[in-house]
Parts: sequence; C-alpha cells; structure tokens
Amino acid sequence: MSFFSEDRVSELKDLFFESATELLQALNEQGLELERRPQDAEVVRSVRRTVHTLKGDSAACGYTALSDLAHELEDALTPELAKARGKRVAEVVLSAADIFQDMLRAYRKNAEPSSGAGLLDEIRALVSKTEAPELVVLTPAKKAIETFEWSEYEKILLQDAGRRGLKVLQVSLAVDPNCNTRAIAWQMVKNTFQDLGTVLLMLPEDAASMEKVDNLFAAIASSFDETHIAKKCRIPMVICDVFVERFGAADAAQVAAPVVEEVVTTKANASLPVEEVASESEPEIGAASISAAPESTLRVDAEKIDAVLNLVGELIIGKSMLTQSISEFDKKFGRDPLHAKFADVLGFQARVLADLQKSVMKVRMVPVEQLFRRFGRIVRDVAKACGREVRLELAGQTTDLDKSILDTLAEPMAHLVRNAISHGIESPDERVAAGKERFGTIKLNAYHQGNNVVIEVSDDGRGIDREKVVKKAVERGIIQAGEAKNLTEGEALNLIFHSGLSTAEEITSVAGRGVGMDVVKTVLDRLKGSIAIETEVGQGSTFYLKVPLTLAIIKALMFRSAQKLYAVPLTSVVEIIRATEAEIHKVDQHEVLRLRNEVLTLVRLNRLAAQAEKTSKIFVIVVAIGDRKFGLLVDKLVGEEELVIKALDHHLVSTELVSGASILGDGTVVLILDVQAVVSKLGRARTQDIKSAGAMA
Amino acid sequence: MAKDLHLVGFRIGRETFGVPISLVHEIVRVPEITAVPEAPAFVEGVINLRGKIVSIVDLRKRFGEKEITQSKKNRILVVEVESKMVGLIVDSASEVLRMAADQVDNPPNVFEDGELNYVTGVGKLKDRLIILVELTKVLQKGELKRLGELGAMA
Repeated sequence: MSFFSEDRVSELKDLFFESATELLQALNEQGLELERRPQDAEVVRSVRRTVHTLKGDSAACGYTALSDLAHELEDALTPELAKARGKRVAEVVLSAADIFQDMLRAYRKNAEPSSGAGLLDEIRALVSKTEAPELVVLTPAKKAIETFEWSEYEKILLQDAGRRGLKVLQVSLAVDPNCNTRAIAWQMVKNTFQDLGTVLLMLPEDAASMEKVDNLFAAIASSFDETHIAKKCRIPMVICDVFVERFGAADAAQVAAPVVEEVVTTKANASLPVEEVASESEPEIGAASISAAPESTLRVDAEKIDAVLNLVGELIIGKSMLTQSISEFDKKFGRDPLHAKFADVLGFQARVLADLQKSVMKVRMVPVEQLFRRFGRIVRDVAKACGREVRLELAGQTTDLDKSILDTLAEPMAHLVRNAISHGIESPDERVAAGKERFGTIKLNAYHQGNNVVIEVSDDGRGIDREKVVKKAVERGIIQAGEAKNLTEGEALNLIFHSGLSTAEEITSVAGRGVGMDVVKTVLDRLKGSIAIETEVGQGSTFYLKVPLTLAIIKALMFRSAQKLYAVPLTSVVEIIRATEAEIHKVDQHEVLRLRNEVLTLVRLNRLAAQAEKTSKIFVIVVAIGDRKFGLLVDKLVGEEELVIKALDHHLVSTELVSGASILGDGTVVLILDVQAVVSKLGRARTQDIKSAGAMA
Repeated sequence: MAKDLHLVGFRIGRETFGVPISLVHEIVRVPEITAVPEAPAFVEGVINLRGKIVSIVDLRKRFGEKEITQSKKNRILVVEVESKMVGLIVDSASEVLRMAADQVDNPPNVFEDGELNYVTGVGKLKDRLIILVELTKVLQKGELKRLGELGAMA
C-alpha cells in the first residue's frame, strides 16, 4: 500500500507544479494590473487570493519555504498598503513572482530552494514604512479593523457553515501594542473562543506568526450574541479593541465611524443598502463558478494523449489490413452478396477513424494565448531596463497550435521581443524627435496560413539597416565583398541569423539586431518552420515565424530513390521538374541543371543507398532552403500524403539526414528526410560526386 | 537454494545464447526492413511493429558471424534496452530455458577485455552450453564513440 501512497504524492506534486505555474502567471498579470491601478482594492484582493492559494497548495506539498514566504506576502498585502505605497507594492509582487518561480524550479529538481530572504526584507520594509506614519496619526490604542478579507476558500467554508444552520460570527481583534507576549495572547484568545463556541477560522493560523501582526481575525460559530462575545474577548493588556459582526453582513460599519471605545455592530442583512449587497454577492458568484469550472476541464498528461494517438495509428493500419483481406475475398467470391455489406462497414469504419484521429489531434492543440500571456511581463521588464516606453498589442490569441510547438517557440519569441525593445524601439525622446508617439508598440499576432501557423513579432522602432548588416558581414569575413553586391534583399537580412554576426556585442548596437539570432533560426529549423523579416528603416520591423500546425502530422511528398521509399515535407518543395541525364552539366565540381533562367545545384539522393542505379529519365524535386533553391534527383515519384511522424530516436539509427519516420496505410515504413541536412551533407562530398557522375555519363 | 534463471534461448550459427526473459517483449518473424542511411553496418534499419518504429540490429553481423543465411526460421527478438525497444535478428529463437544460477560459470578470462566482454557467463544445461549475454553492452560496444558525437551535436 505504501507504493500507492508514494504514487499519490508524486501525482499531487505534479498537479501542484501545474497549478502553481498558472498561479504565478496570474500573479504576474495581477502585479502588472496593480502597477496600473494601485488604488483599486479589488486588484489587491485578487493578488492576495492568488498568493493565498499558492501558500495553501505549497504547504500541502510540504514546501514550507515557499508557503512561509507566500504567507508573509499575503499578510503584508492590504488595500491600505497599496494605497499608501503605490507602485512599490506592485514591484514587490512582481519580484515575489520571480522568486516563487525560482523556488518552484528548485523544488521540481528536488533541490533546496533559495531562502528568499531578500524578498522577506522587501516585504517587511514595505509594511514598516506604511505603518510609521500611521502610528503618528492614530492613538496608541489601535482600533480593530472592521473589514474581513477572507479568501475564496474561507468564504466558502463560512457560507457552508451558515448553510448548516450555524450562526457564524466574524471577530476582529486589535492586539494591544503594549502586549509583549503575542504568542500567549493568541492562545488566550483561542481559549476564549473555544469557550464561546466552535472556532471555524483563525488568522493568523498559529501562535508563532502572531509576532508580526497587530490584528487577529477569526470566525466562530456561537449561540451567544455579538455583545457578549465582544465583552468576553476584551482581555485586559492583550486585546484593546473588538469588532464582532455576523458573517454575511457587509462591512458597512466603516461608514459609521465609531466614537465609542467599544464597538459592537449588530446589523442584519436586511438593513443593508442594496448596492452593498450587490458588491458583496459578487465574490460569491465567482466562488460558485470556480467550483463548476473543474468539471468541464481535464488536466491530462501529454504522454497519455500521445498514447491514444499511437493507438489510432495502429487502428488505421488495422483498417488497411482489413481492406486488403476483403479485396482478396472479393477476388475469390466476387459475386457474393456479402461484398456490399463489407464495403458499407468499411466505409463507416474509415469515416469514424478519420474523425477519431482529428479529435485526438485537436486535443493537443492549445490557443496561442497561453504563449502570448507571458509577454506582458517580459515587455514591462525589458522596457524598464532599457529606459523605453513600450505598449504590447496582442492579436489572434485564439489561433490553435500544437502544445509542444508552442512551448518550443516561447524562448525564440522572447528573444525577438527583447531585441525589438532594446535595439528596435528608440528612447522616448528620440521617438518624439522623429515625430513618432512616445510609446513604442510591440505587436504579437498569430494566424493560420494553410497547414501552417504564422506568428508575427513586430515593432515600430528604427528598423534594420540592410547596408550596415552587409558591411559588418563583409568585415567579419562571413561573406566576400564581391558576393555582397549580389545579395538579394532577403539574403542580406538573413545574414543577421548568422552566428558569426550575431555573437559580437558591438555589431548588434550598430546593426540593430542580433544577439543569439542564430539560436532563433535553429529552433525554427528544428520545428520545420521558417523565419522571414520585413523591415523599413525608421518604420520598424516584423519577424514572421512560420511553424507547422502540428509536429505530429505533415504533408509530405513521397518518392523512390534506388528502390527505397522516402518523403520530404511538402512545405519545402517548390516544384517538380523532369529532366534527362543529358541536361545535367558540371560546373566547378557541382552538378547543375538549368531551370528557366536559374541554375539549380543538384543533389543525388540515390547516393543514400549503397548501390546507385542508372536511369536516363529522372525527376528533380526543387526545394527551397532559405532563399536558395536546390534540386533533388530522384528515380520515381510516388505521391503526396499526410504522414503521422514518429521519431527515429534510437541511438543506433538516428542520423541527421532523417528527421523521422512514418507508417503508411499498408504498414510500410517511410523515412522522412531532413532536406537541409541532405543538401549540406550530400552536396558537400564533391570529389565522390565527380567520380560517380563520371561513371554515369 | 539458488534462484532459477529464466532465459530466452536463441541460436546464432551453432551456438545457443540466452538473455533474461524479462527483457524480451516478443519474438516476431522478420518483416520488410526499411534501411536507414548512414547507419552502422550491423544496423539493418527500422520496422513497423504494430504502429511503433523499432530499430533492427542484425545480431549475427554484430557477433561477427561469417556466413549469414536468410531463412524462414530467422526471428526478431524485440527487447527493451535502456527503455528503448530494439529488434535483434537471430538465426532462430524458440525455447525458454530455465537453469539454476549456480550452473552459470564466469566467462573464460579471454573474453573479459577483448571484443567479447558482453558475455556475462556460460551456463550449463544438461550437456549444452548457453552463452549469457548482456544486451546493453552488445548494443553499445563500438557505438560509444558515435554516441559521444551525437551528444556533442545536441
């Protein structure tokens, strides 16, 4: 049985990491909101709720360092504090989000997290500074706070108790500032409560945290009336003020500021102004929808979905086996009336299978919003660090994309956005001087384009100066001076993806872009996507990231070379032409072919196989790699098909030439070639090329 | 009393080899194999095993067998090595062997540092000799360098 419980714990932790990631995302967003509207008490409360949930969840998993820190932050966050300290609070919240993130990362690796002491100091500094002026204004004997800020969970708990017919009273106690034995005070209050009825909630939750707070909140179920409770709770030298209220009554007492030392409010629900009721009932609605939401959404491990997808793949193979058997049956008993029945059943099965496959594929898709959401924070931080004023615009958030692609894109996109802000967008003064708005704009957009999704990252900054890029590339020896003249616009801009150009610091400031751009390109290549740039000096630039809808299925062109079946992604195919051996010329050790007014460099694919065959009539598949075109010589074209890609990941067979394999309807395995690797690898072996070409001619 | 070893016995040439039965997923006939470019000589390629792509190693080539005859008796042992499925082509495979652990002798010294260090023991079963092999080593020996290169690339 212990085996089971261990399993449960790791499952619980997995769930925790999932939800914690989302909580931190929410915390980031709320922090940004807080920065915009520090006066809004509702925003502060939402931050508090998030922090509270994080605290509870992490405590449940035994991550005490995190939960303690969250607790500290939750305690510090009050609307009053936000009002008094403004943006400073938002900054602490955002840096807290970062520290929580680091701690989570550590926990995930089963490592000991950082103590977060820096954050603790920040929080304390925040609180103490607000309280200092307050002490001057207020009388030494503090008043009990008359508003109750229960978390969603606590509210539900209290409502639940109320529904069970209990009379729920919320009590707020102000601890006497002269009381030095806070922990004992806590225990005394608790004992008093227990005499009066059942303690439902008590904040702080333990005696140890009493040291840091001046107010005690509790909810008790009691049959005594409010006055009696207030009297009982007034413990001399410990509690200087008491406020008791029936749960559910709004904090209308704030309006009628009490002059008497002892304040006991006994307002019933009915006497409340209508507006108050409305505002109070809002969080309740929120609570109800929260409890309903989990029923319609499931968290599923991506591996489990992949397993289902694999099974669907096997079903499809099973179907084609069945089709084959039936066609054999037909040959034997062609006139059998069963024939029509079989055909019907097969047709039905095929339709359902196709639907099934589509549905499973859909499960893997998530809206790009998940990715875009992270950029609010990135833009803010980078803009702040670079002294820019930047606005983020999002469009097309509902576009669906495969989850794994989405996750892989996060890093390169962050890179592009960072570059756009630090190098693209000018400082506010420069912008005004150039007749632009003070605020620079970063725009993220996503849309479908055939079987691809295009994600645009654009800015309205200074753009990329093509001439400077080319000049630097020549200086760096990446291209020859002679070559530079022949570069097309696209080729020149693509130079920024060259690692030699991008790694040097001073070039980036001149050319505008470039730190680690080669990494961006590499990631997109790996995703079988592409990247294009559009830029105008002074107007800004746009990066177009084009990625396939899903990694699991691609449209591919299948062909045979030396009897072997291969496929290449259709996205890289430009056109297909027919040629004869006689039309192939040799230029500078390369085999080339004239295609209209272009010269194609050819790559012989049959060199992949051990023995090459002679065929006089050949097909040339024209593929584009970046701006350049190459011709792949193949023996026979087979056709176009949607292929479910499976990884060829065993170390014995993995090769950069093959990006994956797929299984066709009849069970045949087809290898999907990585066009770029094939061209660079087979195009390189020039000497062999001549020999084999010579033998062929 | 020593534990019994459960082995799947297979033949390559004239010898019988054994691998622990727990590692063997299944034994299938040799289907059509798709060759993979740039693979080492003893790697035949990949097959479709009910929707899964499985790499195929010709164990006979790997063991340096001189004469390789393709026959209907040839089988593929689908085994799990380092949590990946690999298919091994053998001359024939059909028996499950059970022998006491104390019937297994250490391999002769000559094997230890030579090419044959994947032999973990020689078992005696009545009058037969069963060569026990360690699959992880079989599939890695000579591959280490290649693996290193792959690691550097990634």
